[in-house]
Amino acid sequence: MQTLKHYFYLASAVLSGTSLVVMTLLILAQIAARMFGVIIPSSEDFAGWLLSATIFFGLAYTFNTGNHIRVTILLSRLEGKSRRLVEFFNLTAGVLISGYLAYYTAFTAYESYIYHDVTDTYLAVPLWIVQTPMALGSLFLLIAIVDSYIAALQGEKPGFIAHEDALSAAE
Amino acid sequence: MDITVIGLILVVCMLLMLTSGIWVALTLTGISIIGLQLIGNDSIGLLLGTSSWSAVTGWSLTALPLFIWMGEILFRTRLSQDLFEGLSPMLSRFPGKLLHVNILSCGIFAAVSGSSAATAATIGRMTLPELSRRGYNDTMAIGTLAGSGTLGLLIPPSIILIVYGVSAEVSIARLFLAGVMPGLVLILLFMAFTAGWTLMQGRKGEVADNVQYSTKEKLQALKKLIPIVLLIGGVLGSIYQGIATPTEAAAFGVAGSLLLSAMLGSFTLRGFIDSVAGAVKNSCMLGLILVGAHFLTLAMGFIGIPNALATWIADLGLSPIELIIYLTVFFVIMGCFLDGISVIVLTTSVVLPMVTQANIDLLWFGIFLVLVVEMSQITPPVGFNLFVIQALTGKNILYVAKAALPFFFMIAIAIVLITMYPEIVLYLPTMMTS
Repeated sequence: MQTLKHYFYLASAVLSGTSLVVMTLLILAQIAARMFGVIIPSSEDFAGWLLSATIFFGLAYTFNTGNHIRVTILLSRLEGKSRRLVEFFNLTAGVLISGYLAYYTAFTAYESYIYHDVTDTYLAVPLWIVQTPMALGSLFLLIAIVDSYIAALQGEKPGFIAHEDALSAAE
Repeated sequence: MDITVIGLILVVCMLLMLTSGIWVALTLTGISIIGLQLIGNDSIGLLLGTSSWSAVTGWSLTALPLFIWMGEILFRTRLSQDLFEGLSPMLSRFPGKLLHVNILSCGIFAAVSGSSAATAATIGRMTLPELSRRGYNDTMAIGTLAGSGTLGLLIPPSIILIVYGVSAEVSIARLFLAGVMPGLVLILLFMAFTAGWTLMQGRKGEVADNVQYSTKEKLQALKKLIPIVLLIGGVLGSIYQGIATPTEAAAFGVAGSLLLSAMLGSFTLRGFIDSVAGAVKNSCMLGLILVGAHFLTLAMGFIGIPNALATWIADLGLSPIELIIYLTVFFVIMGCFLDGISVIVLTTSVVLPMVTQANIDLLWFGIFLVLVVEMSQITPPVGFNLFVIQALTGKNILYVAKAALPFFFMIAIAIVLITMYPEIVLYLPTMMTS
């Protein structure tokens, strides 16, 4: 199970990182091509789509490393049971909101699929293909928060709290 | 339901969710869902889906992860060390010493970055660990960074000025020229405050750093700045000569940083992977906030809160100066909850006719707006520079906000200055036309 989790978060990071690197290479290729008088069609749109892939794919990894920002001024003053209670409230809200996001980003991509929507760009690409990273990435985020929720239920320390503690210990 | 009641409910919900420790980005999304429920909107989910899609697919936004990545790469080279060794001899007798490096390097970097968050991220990555290592006062180190990071918005190229220029139909080239002098004024104000603070503290904030340098050493040190100056010159030059857009220049900057890192012998595969991971973490954190903020902006528009506020101010019938004072307060409050670009886009349509009627120059108003947005970047709960610096340092967001407070007032002084002396803004653009 631990190995599976490890690979899940690794996959989130690798997919996001790869999108970022590909996006950079695409933009560089566009500059180089223009110097030789060639235009890569829709490269700016592809860069935008790769940006959405970078951001959404990496959400789960970023959640697990405790990098999503939150206000911890109250939490850091609470201890024991009350802290766990507030943390459960936060995780419940997190599951609900990210679940809503995951459902409707997936729905948006699904709608684009059933209506055969294409992008309004020079190269018309089926919209659902470029929207899939958004749907998958939001689902990954939901899974990551559920993972933390289960860990908290079992009385363990969720990954993001462990990382947050490590961050504040480094001060 | 009355719009005031809805507004109050949303403010209470937001404060409750934020203080209990729900992730900021998810709070923004949650608040928007609640708000849309209150007005009985029946397609909330669909709006969220399309809003999330358009929030993070913009071409200009692609510059953000690239500049963050560039910072992550430079952070893992010897360049940060060189920057300090190059700049510190020149500032070694100046009260505040290396605190000024924060300000000056933010000012320089702002000339290659259109984003306040990217500026704070890149420079902070370089300077914060060094200042901490040399025993500088943490609060001032963070404050100077938070304050001068906002220069990224004002000093061209600036994404926010482009957004304003398009919606207000003001020449972007003129806006870019107009931003130069107020940017320099801000740098001077920041440096003056830092020097003054240091003297009032009996220079104890810099007490651990008492290194002295000879003239020869100072010249030697300057050589260390050559690589970074070349890199910044390359990125900057490509934008100014019209060869590249900011995004392309950013990609160019990433490539240049990797090349420099290889030339300096600090390139490793491990370091490369770490830099990508660091860029991913910061970009995703900001990206999710952008998704939340974009949806919040949309929801607010549906509910009509920003428009109601703007109309209410317009109804009061004020003189230009009064108008500017109230607008400043209004934008600062808006900026507490909405990101800068959203504030500008949502209000230009309502506020601009009023501004034109009051005979306020739209070019001047653009710079004024950016200065106010700069202030909002360092006010909680939604201040992007605060988020970036919280991520960099692991410090509490309120701590960062408090550290940035004096610089908030310095920006306020700059607003007073450009109001009293509009020539600061208008001189360079006028030169261009004549």
